Amino acid sequence: MKRRFFNSMMAAALVGSVALPAQAADTVKVGVLHSLSGTMAISETSLRDVLLFTFDEINAAGGVMGKKIEPVVVDGASNWPLFAEKAKQLLEQDKCAVVFGCWTSVSRKSVLPVFEKNNGLLFYPVQYEGEEESQNVCYTAEAVNQQATPAVDYLLDQGIKKFYLLGSDYVYPQTTNLVLLEYLLSKGVPLENIGGGYRKDDSGKIISAGKYTPFGHTDYQQIVAEIKQFSAGGNAAVVSTLNGDTNVPFFKEYAAAGLTAEACPVVSFSISEDEFRGLPADKLVGQLGCWSYFQSIDSPANKKFVDGFQSWLKKSSITGIVKEGRVTCSPMVLSYDGVYLWKACVEKAGSFDVDKVREAWKSGLSFEGPNGKVTSQKNMHMTKNVYIGETKADGQFKILKEFKEVYGEPWLKGKFK
Amino acid sequence: MKALSRLLSLTLISGLLCSVSLLAETPRETIAKAALNEDSAKKREIITTLVGQGDEVIKTLMDDWKADKLFIHTTAAGEKVVVRLQDDKDDAGTQSAVRVDDGATLKDASGSPLRLVAKEQKAVEHDRGLRNAMKAVLDLLDLSSPDAKKRIQAVETLGAAQNAEKLPALEARAKVEQDPEVLRELKEAAALINLKNSSDDVKVAALKDLKELHAFSSYDLIKATLKEAETASKAPVVSAAKDALAAIDSHRTFVDFFGTIFRGISTGSILLIAALGLAITFGLMGVINMAHGEMIAVGAYTTYIVQNIFGAGVTIPLFGLSLAIPGMHATGAWYNSYFLFAIPASFFTAALVGIALERGIIQFLYRRPLESLLATWGVSLLLQQVFRLTFGANNVQVGSPSWLSGNWTISDIIFNWNRVFVIGFAIFIVFGTYLVLTKTSLGLLMRAVMQNRNMAACMGIRTSRVNMLTFGFGSGLAGLAGAFLSQITNTGPSLGQSYIVECFMTVVVGGVGNIAGTVTSAVGIGMADQSIQQILLNPVMGKILVLVGIILFLQWRPAGIFVTRSRSLD
Repeated sequence: MKRRFFNSMMAAALVGSVALPAQAADTVKVGVLHSLSGTMAISETSLRDVLLFTFDEINAAGGVMGKKIEPVVVDGASNWPLFAEKAKQLLEQDKCAVVFGCWTSVSRKSVLPVFEKNNGLLFYPVQYEGEEESQNVCYTAEAVNQQATPAVDYLLDQGIKKFYLLGSDYVYPQTTNLVLLEYLLSKGVPLENIGGGYRKDDSGKIISAGKYTPFGHTDYQQIVAEIKQFSAGGNAAVVSTLNGDTNVPFFKEYAAAGLTAEACPVVSFSISEDEFRGLPADKLVGQLGCWSYFQSIDSPANKKFVDGFQSWLKKSSITGIVKEGRVTCSPMVLSYDGVYLWKACVEKAGSFDVDKVREAWKSGLSFEGPNGKVTSQKNMHMTKNVYIGETKADGQFKILKEFKEVYGEPWLKGKFK
Repeated sequence: MKALSRLLSLTLISGLLCSVSLLAETPRETIAKAALNEDSAKKREIITTLVGQGDEVIKTLMDDWKADKLFIHTTAAGEKVVVRLQDDKDDAGTQSAVRVDDGATLKDASGSPLRLVAKEQKAVEHDRGLRNAMKAVLDLLDLSSPDAKKRIQAVETLGAAQNAEKLPALEARAKVEQDPEVLRELKEAAALINLKNSSDDVKVAALKDLKELHAFSSYDLIKATLKEAETASKAPVVSAAKDALAAIDSHRTFVDFFGTIFRGISTGSILLIAALGLAITFGLMGVINMAHGEMIAVGAYTTYIVQNIFGAGVTIPLFGLSLAIPGMHATGAWYNSYFLFAIPASFFTAALVGIALERGIIQFLYRRPLESLLATWGVSLLLQQVFRLTFGANNVQVGSPSWLSGNWTISDIIFNWNRVFVIGFAIFIVFGTYLVLTKTSLGLLMRAVMQNRNMAACMGIRTSRVNMLTFGFGSGLAGLAGAFLSQITNTGPSLGQSYIVECFMTVVVGGVGNIAGTVTSAVGIGMADQSIQQILLNPVMGKILVLVGIILFLQWRPAGIFVTRSRSLD
């Protein structure tokens, strides 16, 4: 009895091993590397969902060069060393042709050596601080000049003269605010009109600008009192790179102190439609956001994308997937654009080979996405439209201004002097 | 000759008339022109030309514009017309339209009135800059608004614009104005406008006024004046401007000082209401309850549910099932009173959970602090997971009732209603706890059991029941803390985790088993935290220094501020 069981196991294993190569011939493995648990899961799970939706959409239309996409989903668990391990597994063990993933800058920095060593290709979709250009990363993300500086341009255009810089204490806000400081100074805004304070090193060089609070900070009394005094003369705005749920106590305190979007608008770079699901929308009405996509974009491509995603969600059988109240946001659309651009690159290269795909990326391919036309660039970044929006009570954005086809430029420090 | 001159004057007059009618655009036409312009800077420019015109139609049209009630209609001929839809919606959703430029009814090619559906038309856009430009136009109208707040706003913008032409209007208003606050603003606005005056004497007088008013909003403009005067080396203006700036700076110090005291007390009150329950369970009963934070979360979630019962109802994804709780769809004052119901509800819910915890686990662990620490830690993790499965991993939204979301400003010191409320609330529950402990029979029994359990049992007190009720009371207080915390911070599964350390800190610093000590330490820690933040201008360093201070303090006085001598702690 025991032996027969063993034999049948062997047989099954044999059949399996025979069947596998046959299957591998008409599929291509694609990695999905996001946090599906831990603190970042709230944001990153949405990206996994939209990636799986995109793969299904492409597979239904015949796949990439006749091969069906076979997703390999791994969980980075909001744990940065684990991200590196999972990346290694995707590249060395699963031999994925491409990986879509990462949210925080620190997760990207942890997987970078793995991708460079194995010559893998990572598509990175979330707005970031720049100062990086790896040959193994396609940055579909917004660079600082595709989010922060257009937002400041808009505010300057609206007659804002004073800027208060506020952010969470980690690399993205710190670097972005340093770039913004330089940018504002170059636009003729005097240093005394830039609030939040700054720190100099011994040589007198400014090494940090703006006010920073740790993740999970809840007490914004002092900071809001400071903003109230700062904005008293009018024509002031807050540029916020606060991340995650600290926005709730901040905006509650902001409203309670009598500060309004009319008196002193807040432009946030980390609140998208998806984050709105956990924020008191009524406290944010009229505040500004800046992204390269809003769900409220009125175009046939966007309508097709939103409807397609919603109906895919309804049919989806992924365990634990949230189906109600789902929205689409910029990192999701940049993930979606990324998959299609990769497909275009592969088809142009005629191969899944990373070096050839990279050459195709650098040649500048375009895709008409839900956020308009996006084009890949020589510096591994992407040209895309940038939109300024005003938040509405229903958690959507009303689009106020559009910057057409902004070139992604990661190296900004020192450019505005 | 006469006839000739008459002819000449006639042609002149008619020519003049003609040019006047060519030049003068009606406000309606100007607004329509602005609405059709593509460039936002140009739009603002066109709107600004209306400043000083007192036509009522401007206000109506601009209010409609801001309320998205003006639309751009493209006629069959391809011409773009700005229209305003009338309030005569029929069943098909169509409304009759009025042209903004001439006030006539919109007609189609055949001349019959056109009816439009609002949804199909493109609303005329507006942005912040444009709304500000409109405000500058409407401010003169708002100067006589019956609403004092609107008058203040109008005066503020008029002053900041520093337009000398507005001065007579402000002075005229100052003569009839009754409200002292508006009068103050009028004086400031007039002084700000006079800063632009070419005469140095007027400038100095204005600066003297501003020195007396020491308003933050004038700081930037005085600074600009100072710079200008310095380059032109006008000594009297420079010294007057410096005086005015010094006055504002000293006012700032004053505001910061009292503001920090207020913020310190409010932070202390939050610590106090969060820690008071722990002071009872840990201080009096000697149970190290690591699940205290989750009792706070129970209170916060109860507030969330009560809010939704008053609102539109809520569907809770309870362990994968959907549990629909119907809502009462209350509005206005009735809806805003939800919080008053949420307070007792969160007390009793948390108390019930506490009693269940005491009966189920803690009653077996009295006098075994290490085991109770481990067991309640387990309960804490378990409860967090229960919250996740019941309400989802995301934070839930709890809105503040309107009476908690305003502020009260005295001499530029802001007292937020919610912060004033928490101070009152803390006083109320400390006083309530004091009454329960000293004036009720339950309090007497509690104190008896805590002092000497065996003796109390000998006297016929059912000590296990007293334990249960005491633990329930402590948990209920945590629930109250949760109800309040839901108003200022996030309500999510990890809410309790962010407060548990601070709670233990407060109780230990205060001296275990002593309510007065908890009060003192809560307010002390709150004040220290806010003062350090104010001095260092850095929220992170504030927290770190307070922690270091507490560690040093406990080295010096390990038993806290007030040392309790009680046998239960021996």
